[in-house]
Amino acid sequence: MTSSPTQALATAARAVAASKIYGSGDTEVRALDAIDVAFEEGRFTAIMGPSGSGKSTLMHCMAGLDTVTSGQVIIGDTDLTTLSEKDLTLLRRDNVGFVFQAYNLVPTLTAIENITLPMDLAGETGDTAWIDEVVGATGLSDRTKHRPNELSGGQQQRVAVARALAGRPQIIFADEPTGNVDSNTAAEILGFMRNAVTEMGQTIVMVTHDPVAASYADRVVFLVDGKIVDELADPTPQTIRDHMTRLGA
Amino acid sequence: MFKLALRSLIDKKLRFALTTFVVVLGVMFVVGSFTLTDSLRSTFSGLARDIAQGTDLTVRVDQSFGGDFDRATVPEAVGEQVLGVEGVDRVQPELGALNVFIVDGEGNAIRPPGPPALGFSFNPGTFFITDGRQPAAPGEFATDTSTAAGNGLRIGETYEVNGPITAEPFELVGVFNFGAPDSHTGLGQTMAAFELDEAQRFFGMEDGYQAIGVLVSPGSEVSDVQDRLEAELGDDYRVITQEVDAAEQEEDFNQVVDIFNTILLVFAFIAVFVAAFIINNTFQIILGQRVREIGLWRAIGATPRQVSRSVITESAIVGVVATIIGIGLGLVLALVLRAILELIGFPLPPGPLTLQPRTVGLALLVGLGVTMISSIAPALRARKISPVAALAHDFRLDPTSLRRRVIAGGTVFAAGVVALAAGMTAGLDTTPTFVLLGIGAVLAFVGINTVSPAFARPAASALGRPVKSLFGMPGRLGRDNAARNPRRTASTAGALLIGLALMGLAAVVGESVKKTFVNIIENAVEADYFIRSAETGFGPPPGFPARLADEIEALDEIESVMRVQFAFGGLSVNGEPRDIVAADMAQADDHFDGQVSSGDMAAGDPLTALALHSDSAASLGVGVGDTLEATFPDNQTETLTVVAVYEDAAIYGNWLIDGALWDSHFNRNDLAFASARIAGLASAADEAELAALQDGSRAAIEGVLDRYPTVKVENQAEFRQAQESQLTALIRVIQVLIGLSFVIALIGIINTLSLSVFERIHEIGLLRSVGMTRKQLRRSIYWEALIVAVFGGLLGVTVGTVFGVATTLALPESFVQTVAVPWLDLAVFVLISAIAGLLAAILPAIRAGRMNILDAIAHE
Ligand SMILES: Nc1ncnc2c1ncn2[C@@H]1O[C@H](COP(=O)(O)OP(=O)(O)OP(=O)(O)O)[C@@H](O)[C@H]1O
Ligand SMILES: [Mg+2]
Repeated sequence: MTSSPTQALATAARAVAASKIYGSGDTEVRALDAIDVAFEEGRFTAIMGPSGSGKSTLMHCMAGLDTVTSGQVIIGDTDLTTLSEKDLTLLRRDNVGFVFQAYNLVPTLTAIENITLPMDLAGETGDTAWIDEVVGATGLSDRTKHRPNELSGGQQQRVAVARALAGRPQIIFADEPTGNVDSNTAAEILGFMRNAVTEMGQTIVMVTHDPVAASYADRVVFLVDGKIVDELADPTPQTIRDHMTRLGA
Repeated sequence: MFKLALRSLIDKKLRFALTTFVVVLGVMFVVGSFTLTDSLRSTFSGLARDIAQGTDLTVRVDQSFGGDFDRATVPEAVGEQVLGVEGVDRVQPELGALNVFIVDGEGNAIRPPGPPALGFSFNPGTFFITDGRQPAAPGEFATDTSTAAGNGLRIGETYEVNGPITAEPFELVGVFNFGAPDSHTGLGQTMAAFELDEAQRFFGMEDGYQAIGVLVSPGSEVSDVQDRLEAELGDDYRVITQEVDAAEQEEDFNQVVDIFNTILLVFAFIAVFVAAFIINNTFQIILGQRVREIGLWRAIGATPRQVSRSVITESAIVGVVATIIGIGLGLVLALVLRAILELIGFPLPPGPLTLQPRTVGLALLVGLGVTMISSIAPALRARKISPVAALAHDFRLDPTSLRRRVIAGGTVFAAGVVALAAGMTAGLDTTPTFVLLGIGAVLAFVGINTVSPAFARPAASALGRPVKSLFGMPGRLGRDNAARNPRRTASTAGALLIGLALMGLAAVVGESVKKTFVNIIENAVEADYFIRSAETGFGPPPGFPARLADEIEALDEIESVMRVQFAFGGLSVNGEPRDIVAADMAQADDHFDGQVSSGDMAAGDPLTALALHSDSAASLGVGVGDTLEATFPDNQTETLTVVAVYEDAAIYGNWLIDGALWDSHFNRNDLAFASARIAGLASAADEAELAALQDGSRAAIEGVLDRYPTVKVENQAEFRQAQESQLTALIRVIQVLIGLSFVIALIGIINTLSLSVFERIHEIGLLRSVGMTRKQLRRSIYWEALIVAVFGGLLGVTVGTVFGVATTLALPESFVQTVAVPWLDLAVFVLISAIAGLLAAILPAIRAGRMNILDAIAHE
């Protein structure tokens, strides 16, 4: 994960002809329709698309929270479709970070305990210097002993991102991490994620509906009806809006 | 609102099922107890009618108190007198005796484990020969079909029969059905019947009969004959009709059934009480979970009244459904109990189970009442939920402030303790005492349960500390979740607490009684051997023939024998029947030291001497030298002189008379037990000689006992051990019965755990998404359950120990003198509750592990 953006990039995760079908017969929903997509190491990718287009489904399937109906999902060198339930769990713990829209934290644990939760579950101490760095980057060093209900929504989300970062996973997925907060707080969280990619070389994939949020990313992928329909490199809010208008979303 | 309540029940099937199940158990216990005892009653009333049938009138000596077998006999001459009365066709003298054991072909006495072994004079009115003939000569006997068939007795064979005085061989000449010509009415009793004169001789009642049955000649009115007989015989005799006879018998039986009923009801009460805790708990949690939903109803216009009514309606539905199922299962329980009774030796004749309207009413009262009462508090809380609650994600019902809890709980607890203390010391009748103790226990438990949330959090944290540091994240989360909601933890633990506290109480009191007893035996026993019934079944052990003691006394190896007899209500002073012990007072000191504090047991005339335990002496205000007027069951009155006051009631009870006085008032001369001293022990030169004396005397006694297989001999150590293990067994039986409330508590834990897992569903999804394995998740739930259960266990054992010690101190000294705490037992109880907690966690843990992560995350 030391590659610089100028080199040809290795792939952190990819989906190959991945389909996800819910229900059957008349009620069949094709949430993912033979999707092919790759996320390069050390890059920040945004995924956009209309409601119901399959964004969350893609995140869940790629993060090993759900399984695809057909096709493959690969993280690093590991094909998720071949893993047992237990190995999937261990993969999530050690190789993947995930940030949900809200309520990412365990209420009985303090902020720092939430951050080190995956390592604690693994029975490891983790890289303390790195964790200190991550905590420092969240700007919450003086609140690490607080419990989630003593933190604001934005602070909670930053703790959630810090948790995802703390174990230095191969890839972090974030499903509308700023969907529940005001624009200032969103800027804080997005800045933090951008930083993690630029400064720490993390790989992040983020779903968002907000062109401004998406503009923090290096690349935007557009999803409609479970298919990738377009993508955009080095986006700005304006170029994203233009694309969206064109796609009729 | 009814529709809403119904919907909410259907939506939450599991919750509904578990809550209902708890109520069902309570109802089941109540219905089972009443149905069984009602059936017992009807069985016994049938038996009473069978006993009374065959004669129109019965003549007995009028007895104001005392046991049936202690009643004075009707002299033979009275039979002649009765025959002379106009309208009397025939008389049927009746004779009966306890402790008549038939010895089977292999030399083993046939011993019904609970019901009595009875001897009779053959009564053609109620004994119907099915095979052979009725006994007509000395040396002959007949037995009932069930005893004969069950033990392979054959007509024509000769069997040894142990009677109340002696053992003799008799030839079996016939087999009969008791009660009806074609079916035997048996409750497990064994019956041996003899020809009338032979019975008189064998039972030692040569000069009379217990009763005289009268058959009225055709054409005469029974009531006219009754009047004439009463006029002829005077006030000393009672002449009763068959109906009255049956009714009196039935009443005797019912006293036994009532005791049985009370015991069952105590357990039903415990079950219902534990169930009430769990129901209340469940409704509280459910309400906590439905806050948003209720807030939404309020937002769209439901009034607080409608909201609380829907909560009440929900509980009413649970109550009704549970009552119906509970009644059904209660009938099944009655059948199971009946089977168990049969297994331990009380076969009841098959008959329909009696489900009386009263039982159904009680079931409704319990099932519906308990659920409704348990839902009042939640319903009142539901009213207070504001529409805003629907909007807040983490809205919580305001818990009652801990300060208020401690004050309120403390007050209730204190009231409970006062009631308990009053119940134990006020010396009321049985029923008010029980009611007072029951109310006291309920109040004390409710008080403890109200206060316990105040220390549930610190206690759970403290208990969980080692878990947290030793068992990683799952242990940590388990501890946190146990400490998270103190109210829930406390009331889950509360369900365990009740059972454990009662078990602990029984353990402490039992251990203290046992210790007291062991001390007494160690200090008071001077005799070398104890001869007593080998019976190990239920109820008071049967007596054995007095002749046996004579035979042992005649042995060269034996120095002396003390005979001990016992009668419930054996004499009456100031109009109150007293239980008495009769022994050879002259040598009492040599066998058992009763700790005489004044006077001398051996002093005075054995025919008028009375020794009293200090409690009785104090309550009557008498001392050595004072006299008392005492009436015996044979209606004779004597002036007795107090010759000694003693402190130790273990052997001599509260009232001790000499065997000579007993003999002059009781027909019955069977011994409760006897003790013997080895001859020449004092002059034994060395160990070897001592051992030889012991071995020789024992062999000699056993030689005598060969003919009496119902009797055994024990030395001091064996006697002590047997007494101890008998007490231990009794304590265990009580504890196991109380332990049944564990089953209910178990369901309570399952219920709360599932609900608390459900409450955390989002969090669990989250943990799984960041890499908690199923195993780790299950483990965290096990830890949570373990901590809650150990908390309940420790609390229960502590409460039980405190109450146990208090009870022990409050009990009369004649019963228990030392306080002993069985630490090991108490530790085992905590262990048992820990295991119960783990068992209860299995289902919720598996369900939590199987949960779909994304569904869980999506759940709010
Ligand atoms: N568990 C499920 N069962 C059935 N259908 C589902 C399930 N989850 C998602 N779907 C369907 O799959 C499609 C994609 O859903 P998904 O949640 O991935 O959309 P999305 O792009 O994340 O939408 P949004 O922007 O609203 O979050 C939708 O049509 C949705 O109805
Ligand atoms: Mg989505």
